[in-house]
Amino acid sequence: MQTLLNPDLLRRLEQMQLLAARRAKSSAKGERKSRARGQSVEFADYRAYVPGDDLRYLDWALFGRLDRLFIRLYEEERELPVVIFLDASESMTFGEPRKFDFARQLAAAVGYIALCGFDRVSIRVFPTIGEGGRPSLDATSPQGIARRALNSVRGKRSSLGFLSHLQALEAGGAGDMDAALKRGAREIKSTGAVLVISDFLDPLGYEAGLAALVARGFQVTAVQVLAPAELNPAIHGDLKLIDSETGAIQEVSFGKFRMSAYQRSVAGYIAQWEAFCKARGIRSLTVSSGTSLSDVVLRQMRSSRLVG
Amino acid sequence: MNFLAPLGFAFAASLPVVVLFYLLKRKRMAHVVSSTLLWQRFLAETQASAPFQRLRHHWLLILQLLLLALVVLALSRPYSKGKLPAGSLQVVVMDASASMQATDESPTRFDVARNEALKMVDGLTPGTEMVILVAGATAEVRQSPTSDKGVLRRTLRNLTATDSATHLVEALRVADSLTQTRPASEVHLFSDGAATGLDEFGTKSLPLVYHRVGKRSNNAGIVSMEVRANPEDPKQRAIFVSVANYATNTIDSTVELLFDDQLKDTQPIELAPSNSVPLVFLVEQPRDGVFTARLTHKDDLAVDNTASVLSRLPGPTKVALVTVGNRFLQKALAAAGPAVEVVVSDKVPADEASYDLVVLDGILPPEPPKANVLAFHVMVTNWFDAPAQNLETPPIVDWRNTHPLLRFVSFDDVQIAESMGVKTPPWASPLIDTTQGTLAVTGEIGRQRIVWVGFDPLRSSWPLRIGFPIFVANCVDWLNPATARSQRFQIHTGEPLRLPLTGLVSDARVILPDGSKQPLLTSSGTSELIFGDTGKQGLYTIESGTNRYVYCANLLDLRESNLEPRAELDLGQRGTLAATATKPANLEIWRWFALVGLGVLMLEWWWFHRRTA
Repeated sequence: MQTLLNPDLLRRLEQMQLLAARRAKSSAKGERKSRARGQSVEFADYRAYVPGDDLRYLDWALFGRLDRLFIRLYEEERELPVVIFLDASESMTFGEPRKFDFARQLAAAVGYIALCGFDRVSIRVFPTIGEGGRPSLDATSPQGIARRALNSVRGKRSSLGFLSHLQALEAGGAGDMDAALKRGAREIKSTGAVLVISDFLDPLGYEAGLAALVARGFQVTAVQVLAPAELNPAIHGDLKLIDSETGAIQEVSFGKFRMSAYQRSVAGYIAQWEAFCKARGIRSLTVSSGTSLSDVVLRQMRSSRLVG
Repeated sequence: MNFLAPLGFAFAASLPVVVLFYLLKRKRMAHVVSSTLLWQRFLAETQASAPFQRLRHHWLLILQLLLLALVVLALSRPYSKGKLPAGSLQVVVMDASASMQATDESPTRFDVARNEALKMVDGLTPGTEMVILVAGATAEVRQSPTSDKGVLRRTLRNLTATDSATHLVEALRVADSLTQTRPASEVHLFSDGAATGLDEFGTKSLPLVYHRVGKRSNNAGIVSMEVRANPEDPKQRAIFVSVANYATNTIDSTVELLFDDQLKDTQPIELAPSNSVPLVFLVEQPRDGVFTARLTHKDDLAVDNTASVLSRLPGPTKVALVTVGNRFLQKALAAAGPAVEVVVSDKVPADEASYDLVVLDGILPPEPPKANVLAFHVMVTNWFDAPAQNLETPPIVDWRNTHPLLRFVSFDDVQIAESMGVKTPPWASPLIDTTQGTLAVTGEIGRQRIVWVGFDPLRSSWPLRIGFPIFVANCVDWLNPATARSQRFQIHTGEPLRLPLTGLVSDARVILPDGSKQPLLTSSGTSELIFGDTGKQGLYTIESGTNRYVYCANLLDLRESNLEPRAELDLGQRGTLAATATKPANLEIWRWFALVGLGVLMLEWWWFHRRTA
């Protein structure tokens, strides 16, 4: 917990909440406005009394004036299910600081905000156990336990366990982001906020997975975490580059004189990704793993109206 | 197209290197990255923006190869045969005489002169030809006119200095004839200026440039050496050695005398600058052998510090005097030497061949003798072209007192009553001249030495003068075949060795001073063996069958021993020629730039491959 989020940041996160663009559709009670009518202090509407209604909600003052029976309706406050897709593929283990560490911290920060707001937090780590050629990951290992525990967390009291389980996560193996997101879109019952934290450098693409989430009605936020070395490579010369996930080999000769071309190419890639997200109503944010977490959460995510 | 420097094509070996660079799979550094997605995108984009990327690489290779090929072609200096107006000619005359071996210049004067000449070759402009002449033991053309610098350099590098006196006159004559037909030509003489007899070039318009070499004169040397019998002790030989000092300081040294490499005597000498000292060694000689004098002084020129002379033991001299009676002559002959045996007769003896010389005193034999002859007042018709004229009391106006026959002989108070006067024939040189003709001649016909005197000594006052017995003694010495032989074995370096043959010789060879042997060509008609390559000082031995003949080749030259570099070349009375300073010349250095260009090209190729894909 100490390593993921420092106490000062935790204190500031407690004052924040996730900004939901839509009303909660969850069936569980919470603190989010929903379209459902139920019990709360927020008055919503009247409707005519029908036998069997709870007499406690009769508006006696209205009965006196109109001589008809009306039932006072209140807005039902529901919880907002927050699903965080956390990329734990091999490519996330690179960078200085590691992209995965940064992604984990970000997930912890967002999850903590959600927990403080009585929202249900679910962290889906991909590649899942048994996927991506990692047979050592079995369900009974500490890693498996942590992953299972993170499937559904609710309440601020659970935050300690939430953070420690996050801390226990490890990254490795090749991931199929599209498949993981599609499976998530299929499996999650109640739609809510979805945060996808990844480097979006999956050779199989990310488009189909994100589109599936949007189609299910999730409010999707995508955060792309890139390492400083990916934005400004320090390697040069005649190189044989080996892909950490696929093992694919790319021969390239690189030097300082081609840096600007590379940066243009990366900027083009990010712009393409952002354009894709914008076209589907996905809020997007690209961060370098070298930037400070508080800067990302307190400034960048705030200005992007992700948290408030 | 032809090539001046075909060796330049050796650089073509760099062409495959370039191709190799291109073909070589460059060793790449393996590097694990998170994902190659961004790199793939980057490569795709950069290649997309340069669609001829791959092709451009090939273009680069072709351009590189083309450039390299051009440079290699330039290095091989191609030329095409065409016609140019006759260019100028530069005649280089290298003085290869003994004095050019002096070590006052480092390493020697000759090497410095050669380097100067090589620089001149470097500065040779296209179209200009060069001839290389060498004035050493002989004057010869070592390289006929050419503008091929490689050939010229090779010729110059193969030159060596000889131990002989210089033959500059002949070389300059050749240079003169070479430059006659070429309008813009120059003769460059590389010498220390130790030469005389250049008077004839004072009037000629020879375009001579004198490049002086040499810094100082620090040399002492043996300038003459001679062996004679000791008149006081017949068993002893008197060796006369003359040492001259041309250094600027007094030298204090010793002269050693060796007989067949065994030390016999030493004499200390102390010699002031520009002085010479005669030394006489009196030693006994047990057998025929070689006397060597050696000056132990260390100086700039080593060649003149030794001299050798062949000495044979004097044998008895047999003289046939054909006279009707002449006591003066008979006594003078008998006193001419310790072992002179005089046989008096009124006709030439039948066994003439056993006599060393024949003296004819007024008696003309029916057949002229074949031995060496001293003749008084006889007319042998086949010696002279025209009949002699009779002269009454001819006044003696001149005599050759430098000739060995007239050494210490004076005709100051000699009167002659009657004499035959002749015109000097081509084989002879005059000894005594009058206003109307020559009274005495001497010379050689074939190998027969002849001294002819036109008057009867008894009809003159000569026998009463001291000069007469001296003259007779000189004649006996000079006409003695042993003297003639020993003189033949004494040569100056550069002069040919001559060995008259008496019979058929099938096989002969020369042993040079350095010990190497060289065969001599002989054929059935050969009457004389001649060997000309005597540029080195020392002993030459001709071996023919079981016979061995030793020749002593010595420098013994005052001018060569005087190492003073002459600031001006003496062209006789007509003037002098001052030594020139270095002439500005355009020295070709393009090769170095071409080489650097080649290097830069290779560097660029390597650099390119180091940093790019």
